[in-house]
Amino acid sequence: MVGSRNTFSYRLVRVVYLLILTLGALSMLIPFAWSLSTSLKPLGESMAYPPVWWPHPFDWSNFIAIWTMVPLARWFLNSAIVAVSVTVGNLIIDSLAGYALARIQFRGRNVLHLGIVSMLMIPFQSVMLPVYILLRWLGLLDNYGGMIVPVLVSAMGVFLMRQAFLTVPQELEDAAMIDGAGRLRMFWQIALPMVTPNLMTLALMIFMGSWNNFLLPLLVANRSHLWTVPLGIVMFQQEYFVNWPYLMAASVLATLPIAILFLVFQRFFVRGVATTGLK
Amino acid sequence: MAGIESAGSASLPAFPKGNAFRRRARRELGVGYLFTLPSVLLLFLFTLGPALYSLYLSFFSWSLLNHMHFVGWQNFVQLFQMPLFWISVRNSVVFALVVVPTQTVIALLLAAILNQNLPARGFFRLAFFFPAVSSSAVISIIFMWIYNKFGLLNGFLSVFGIVGPDWLGNPSFALSSIMLLNIWTTSGYFMVVFLAGLQAIPAELYEAAAIDGADRWKSFARITVPLLSPSTFFIVVMGIVGTLQMFDQSFIMSQGTGGPLNSTTTVVLLIYQFIFSYGQVGYGAAATVLLFLLILLVTLATNWWFKRKLDYL
Repeated sequence: MVGSRNTFSYRLVRVVYLLILTLGALSMLIPFAWSLSTSLKPLGESMAYPPVWWPHPFDWSNFIAIWTMVPLARWFLNSAIVAVSVTVGNLIIDSLAGYALARIQFRGRNVLHLGIVSMLMIPFQSVMLPVYILLRWLGLLDNYGGMIVPVLVSAMGVFLMRQAFLTVPQELEDAAMIDGAGRLRMFWQIALPMVTPNLMTLALMIFMGSWNNFLLPLLVANRSHLWTVPLGIVMFQQEYFVNWPYLMAASVLATLPIAILFLVFQRFFVRGVATTGLK
Repeated sequence: MAGIESAGSASLPAFPKGNAFRRRARRELGVGYLFTLPSVLLLFLFTLGPALYSLYLSFFSWSLLNHMHFVGWQNFVQLFQMPLFWISVRNSVVFALVVVPTQTVIALLLAAILNQNLPARGFFRLAFFFPAVSSSAVISIIFMWIYNKFGLLNGFLSVFGIVGPDWLGNPSFALSSIMLLNIWTTSGYFMVVFLAGLQAIPAELYEAAAIDGADRWKSFARITVPLLSPSTFFIVVMGIVGTLQMFDQSFIMSQGTGGPLNSTTTVVLLIYQFIFSYGQVGYGAAATVLLFLLILLVTLATNWWFKRKLDYL
């Protein structure tokens, strides 16, 4: 903003801004800090009222106990299998479609583009009933396929990749075309490497969405050895609903992979949100 | 060379006449369909198809186990006479009416502040955004613990001498508690969308306004808010679609019952119960169709409102 930078009112405004931001950030982080704090307490201390923030002494036993109480390792494995498959599938399928919509001239392209984008108005929750019936009919209940196939494509992902491919200079492809390259080679060797950052963004968004997905595993996986981490923890909660230290230890472990991914790759996350918001 | 240059950007008829080019155009057509085929197929199978299928199912009575039989509009008639259906509609609509404006305003304010030249911006952005990337299931469980009668929230309130209720066990507070959780989760996400929009507003506009004597508040109201309209539109529509679809938090915090006293039964939770608790696929399908209509109407109304507002600018 224009104006003198050292007046009293300028400083006051800055202090107020920082105060608001600090309060906001605290309210965002306190629930996570509280779950960490509870996870390090014995059951008795966790029930103390008014609540105690600092566990004394730190009790790590909850983190050990939960691995034997529930098949937590299996749930992590399931989540990883599902999330990785869904991510790989989306990277291939979304970018193929995004490339065609951005780069190839063919009849009906605009209609297809519009049709795919309009699928964004039909979120998964609203079609869960027919999808459940369909999965049952296809024999995809109670197996990994049911948790993977319905989310192998994302309309948002296709849209994101189309926007990315639009920025690849046409000249590069023209040169390749003269050299006799086919479309698949142009896509794979020229266009795709140019949009690596966008692929990262897409991969992170899809991985995170799949890792956190609760409803689809809830519909598909009846048997506990197929549960993913979020579903398993909710079922765990319904069984051990009074032992909050156990539940918070499981919650901390479930949040950890996403937290690490987020901290390492945060600029890709932010970019993804910013791009999807700018249509 | 010139022919190839134009082939990339022009539409089909602009291809120069010649066998090689025509062959190429035909091949392009095939490749275009081939590349989009997996997406189109999957979206049809798991998004558009199911939406149409629910319309079909809404005219049948079916429990998943018996034979379907056609009942005409009966499912809709029954649904309209069902108090629980109207309770779920009211819960979903109230939820959207409170959450969407609140999270939009909070997101806008946070983004406007964060767009200033302040220290530790990266940290703040990280902190606000983090709830949005966390699992809704895990967050719901953490908040169940915080909302406990003897939990963190009531412990905090007791410092001020307030005796807090059992937030999730009391029908007057349960839905509000979930609203608060939802606002907490999504505000940071939408803040990032606003931030992107803010960074696209040229700084010269603010400088010109300052020269004309506009104060901070005036330039926020007259420059920032109107120029952010596209972002706001996106955020409001996504917010409406998201809140009217709310399922995870209600399901988890009420253990799938929508309780206490149906105070947290949303339309989507009711649809879930129609299949898995009541075995009434037809009712669920009819409710699905009505939910679509509701979302469509609200989105069109929002679209119309924003368009009209933009015309006046």
